[in-house]
Amino acid sequence: MNANRTLNVILGIYVALIFAFVFAPIIFSMIFSFNSQRFPTIPLGNFTTEWYVKILNDPDVWEAAWNSLVVCTSTALIATFLGFCTAYSDFRYNFRFKGPYLALILLPPTIPLIIVALAMLAWFSKIGMSGQIYSIIIAHSVLTAPFAMAVIRLRLNQMDPDLEAAAWNLGGSEWATMRHVIVPFCKPAIASALFLTAAVSFDEFAVSWFVSGLNKTLPVIILEIVQGNIDPQVNAIGTFVFLISITLVVLAQVFLFSRQLKSIRP
Amino acid sequence: MTEPLVVFDKVRKHFGSFVAVKEMDFEIHEGEFLAIMGPSGCGKTTTLRMLAGLEAPSIGEIRLGGKVMNDVRPHERDTPLVWQSLALFPFLSARENVEFGLKMRGVDKTERKERALKWLDKMGILEFADRDISTLSGGQKQRVALARSLVMEPQILLLDEPLSALDAHLVIRMQAVLTDLQRELGITFVYVTHSQSEAFAMADRVVIMGNGEIAQIGTPKDIYREPANQFVAEFVGRNNILSGTVASVAKDTAQISTPSGDFTVPMNDVTLTNGQSASFVISADLVHIARDKPKGGNMAQCKLISEEFVGSMVTLFLEDAQGHEFKVQMQERELSKFDLKGGDQIWLSWDTQSAHVLNES
Amino acid sequence: MPSKPRKNIDLYALTWRLPIIIWQGIFFVGPVLFMLAMSFFLVVNYRMTEAFEFVNWTKMLSRGYFWDSYWYTIFIASVSTICAMCIAFPAAYALAFRASESTRRWAIFLLIIPFFTSYLVRTFSWFVILSKSGVLNGLLSNFGLGPYTMLNTNFGTLVGYMTLTLPLVVILQTFSMANIDKTLIEAARNLGCKSFAVIWQVIIPLAKTGLIIAAIFCFILSFGDFVAPFYLGGSQEPTLPILILDTTKSGQQWPRAAVVAIMMMGTLFVVAFGGIALAYRKRKGAK
Repeated sequence: MNANRTLNVILGIYVALIFAFVFAPIIFSMIFSFNSQRFPTIPLGNFTTEWYVKILNDPDVWEAAWNSLVVCTSTALIATFLGFCTAYSDFRYNFRFKGPYLALILLPPTIPLIIVALAMLAWFSKIGMSGQIYSIIIAHSVLTAPFAMAVIRLRLNQMDPDLEAAAWNLGGSEWATMRHVIVPFCKPAIASALFLTAAVSFDEFAVSWFVSGLNKTLPVIILEIVQGNIDPQVNAIGTFVFLISITLVVLAQVFLFSRQLKSIRP
Repeated sequence: MTEPLVVFDKVRKHFGSFVAVKEMDFEIHEGEFLAIMGPSGCGKTTTLRMLAGLEAPSIGEIRLGGKVMNDVRPHERDTPLVWQSLALFPFLSARENVEFGLKMRGVDKTERKERALKWLDKMGILEFADRDISTLSGGQKQRVALARSLVMEPQILLLDEPLSALDAHLVIRMQAVLTDLQRELGITFVYVTHSQSEAFAMADRVVIMGNGEIAQIGTPKDIYREPANQFVAEFVGRNNILSGTVASVAKDTAQISTPSGDFTVPMNDVTLTNGQSASFVISADLVHIARDKPKGGNMAQCKLISEEFVGSMVTLFLEDAQGHEFKVQMQERELSKFDLKGGDQIWLSWDTQSAHVLNES
Repeated sequence: MPSKPRKNIDLYALTWRLPIIIWQGIFFVGPVLFMLAMSFFLVVNYRMTEAFEFVNWTKMLSRGYFWDSYWYTIFIASVSTICAMCIAFPAAYALAFRASESTRRWAIFLLIIPFFTSYLVRTFSWFVILSKSGVLNGLLSNFGLGPYTMLNTNFGTLVGYMTLTLPLVVILQTFSMANIDKTLIEAARNLGCKSFAVIWQVIIPLAKTGLIIAAIFCFILSFGDFVAPFYLGGSQEPTLPILILDTTKSGQQWPRAAVVAIMMMGTLFVVAFGGIALAYRKRKGAK
C-alpha cells in the first residue's frame, strides 16, 4: 500500500532528524575544534590545529586530565565492586528489609545532581574530607554504583538457578564457587559495568565542581572556561572528552552484548 | 545383611507452614538402583535435595554410611547430582566441566585432565572435549553432565529427572546407558522421576511418593502386581480398578459386588468382612478377551473404544454398559487373531488369583 | 539453601551484604540527612553554625522570588516533559513497530552514547549554534531569514532540556512499546480499528506504565538541571537549581540552599509517587 510506504519514509526521516538533533552538538564541536575563527559561524574559517596545540600545552588541562583519569578508574573499581556485592545479595538471598536495602543503592540517580552536590559538599566539609581527589571518587561511586548493580543483576538473571548449587554439590565451598563460577559467569557484565561507571564519572561535572575544590577534573575545567568568554579551546577539550566517553560507552555495550554475538545460552 | 548405605530416619521437611515431606522412613542399599517416583509436588525432589545437603531436614536424621549428615554442608558431601536442567557451566568447555569437581577437591592438573578425558571417552563424547558446551546437542550435554558426576567416583549418584528434557528416542537409549553404567560400576543410583515407565524400566526398587509420604516401596514387579493402595494403583496405570461392597466371605476368597458385576477376589494380605467397601486391581495384561461369553469365573462384557500401539504391545480401551473403563494389554500378534473393530462387543475375563485387593488409604 | 544452625554468623553472606550498607550509609544517607539538618543551621558572619532554628525556612518561603522560581521551575519542567514525550513518540513508535529488530538495537546502541557523554559540552555547542551570530542564524540568513534571538529565552532552555532528556525518553518509550503484546494490536485492527485510533485506543493504554515512567524521569531530569536554564536560558527567570547554585557558590548560604533543595526533593517525591500510582493503577473492578 502506497500510504504505508509513504508513512514509513516519513517516519524514517523523522527518526533521522531526531538523531541529527541529538548528535549535532557533538559533531559541531568536533568540526569547529579545527576551525580558525574565534567565534564559530557560517561560513567556516580556515582549518587549524591551534586550539589543540593550545590545550596540549596547558599544564592545567593536563593536570585536570590526569585527575579525571584517576577519578574515573577508581570510581569504576569501587562502584563495580559495590554493584556486584549488592546484585549478588539481591540474587541469592531473601531477607527482611530487602526493599530499603535496594533503595539504598538505587535512589541516588533519582535525586537531582545539584542537590547531591550540595549535600556532598556540606557533609564532606563537616567530616573534613572535602576538596580532595578522593572526595570526588567517593561521590562518584555513590552515583554510579546503581548502574553497575543493574548491569550485573541483569546478567545474574540469565544464570541457571541451579548453577551455584551444582558447584557446591561438586565440592566447591561458597567462596570457591564465587571465585570459579559466579565471577567467571558475570565477567562480561563486570567489564561492562567498569566501562559504564567510568564513562558516567568521566563526564560528571556538577558534583565534581562542588566537591573538588582545587583538584579539578576535566569537566570542571570545561565549566570554568564556559563561564567565561567564548573560547574555542572548549571544542578541542570537548572533542577529546567526547571521544573518550564514546569509546567507554561503546565498549560497555559491546561487552554486554558480546554473548549474543557468540551463541545462545546453552 | 549388609548395613544400608543411606537411612532416612523419621525425616520431615517443612518450608514455613508448607509441609513438603511428612514422614520418610526408608533405607537405600549399597549398589542398588533406586527410583523415587511420584506426581509433581509429592516431595521427591525435596527428598533428593536433602540427601545432597541442599536442604536440611526439619526433623529427623539422614545417615550416610552410618554417619549423621544433617549438619554436613553440601560441598563436604560426596553425593554428586545430575540436575534436571543439567546445570553445566556455560563458560567452560566439556572437559573443564568434567574436571570441575576434581578441581574443587584439589586434584592436580595432569591427573584431572587424564581422568576427565577417560570419562568423556567412556561416555562416547571424547571428540567434544574442548568444545564450548553451547555447541553440543541435548544428548551430548546429558553425557557431559553424567561424566562430570561420575569422574568423582562417588559411592552414590543422585539423578533429578535427568531425561525429562530429551527427545523420546534419546530417552530410551539413555535409559539403557544408565542401567548398564550402574551395573558396571556398582554405584548406588538414586533416581527421581515422575515417569512410571522410566522408573520401572531401570530400577531395582521403587519408592512411590504421594503428598509428602511414601505410598509404597518395592520392586517394580511387586508394585505393579500388588499395589498397596488406590493411589499407587492409579499412578502405576495400565490396570483395572474396581470398587464395591463385600457381599460374602469364604475361606481364602471373597465376593465383591460392584456396579459392573460381582467378582471373586483372593484374600492374600487383607482380611475382608461382609458389608465392607473394598477395591481391587487387575493388571491389564492379565485380562483375557473373547468373542463368546466365557463359561464361568470373573467376566465383564465391554465395547471396544480404542487401541493404542507402543512397539509390539497394544492396549485396548473398553467400556462396559455402566460406563466403567477397562484396559487390556497384549501382544499385537495376539490381537490380530481377533480382527476387532471399534464398537465391537467383547467378553473380558480373568483368573481370581490375578486380582489384588487394595488397602483402603 | 542449606539451613544453618542459628548461632553461627554467616560470614559469607555478610561479606556481600554489608559493603553497600556501610558505604551508602556514610556517603549517601549521611549527606542527605545532614542536608536536612543543615536547613535549620544559622550563618553568622559568613560562618555556618549548627543550630535548630526555623529562620531559613521562614525567610525563604516568604520570599516572592522563591515562589516565582518554584512555579516557574514546575512550569518549564512540565513543558519540557510534554515536549520531550511528544517529540519522542513518533520516533519511538517507528522504532518499536516499523523497524527491524536489528535496526532497533542499533538505534538504541547509538542513543545510549549521547546519554552518557558530556552534557556540558553539548550545551556549549548549542550556545554557539543558537547565538545571534551563530551557525543557525548564519544558515538562515542565506535564505533571508532572521537573525533570531534564541538564547536567553524559554526556547533556549527547552532546547537544552531536549538535549538532556530526548535520548532517554526515546529509549524508554521504545522499550515500553516494543514489549507490548503485538497480537492485541492485530486483534484491534481485525475488529476494524483504524491505524490512528489503534495508537490511542490500544498502544498507549498497553504501554501506559512504561510511558508514565519515561515522563517521570524526564520531569525529574528537567526539574533538577541547572545547565540548560543557566547557559541557554540566560537565567532570565531563575529556576530552583539555579537558586541553589547562586546561594551556595556566591552566597555561601548553605542552609538556605538546603531549604530549596528539600522543597525540590519533596516536590519530586510527590510527582514520582503520584506518577507511579497512576502507572500501576488498575481500572476499577479489574483484578
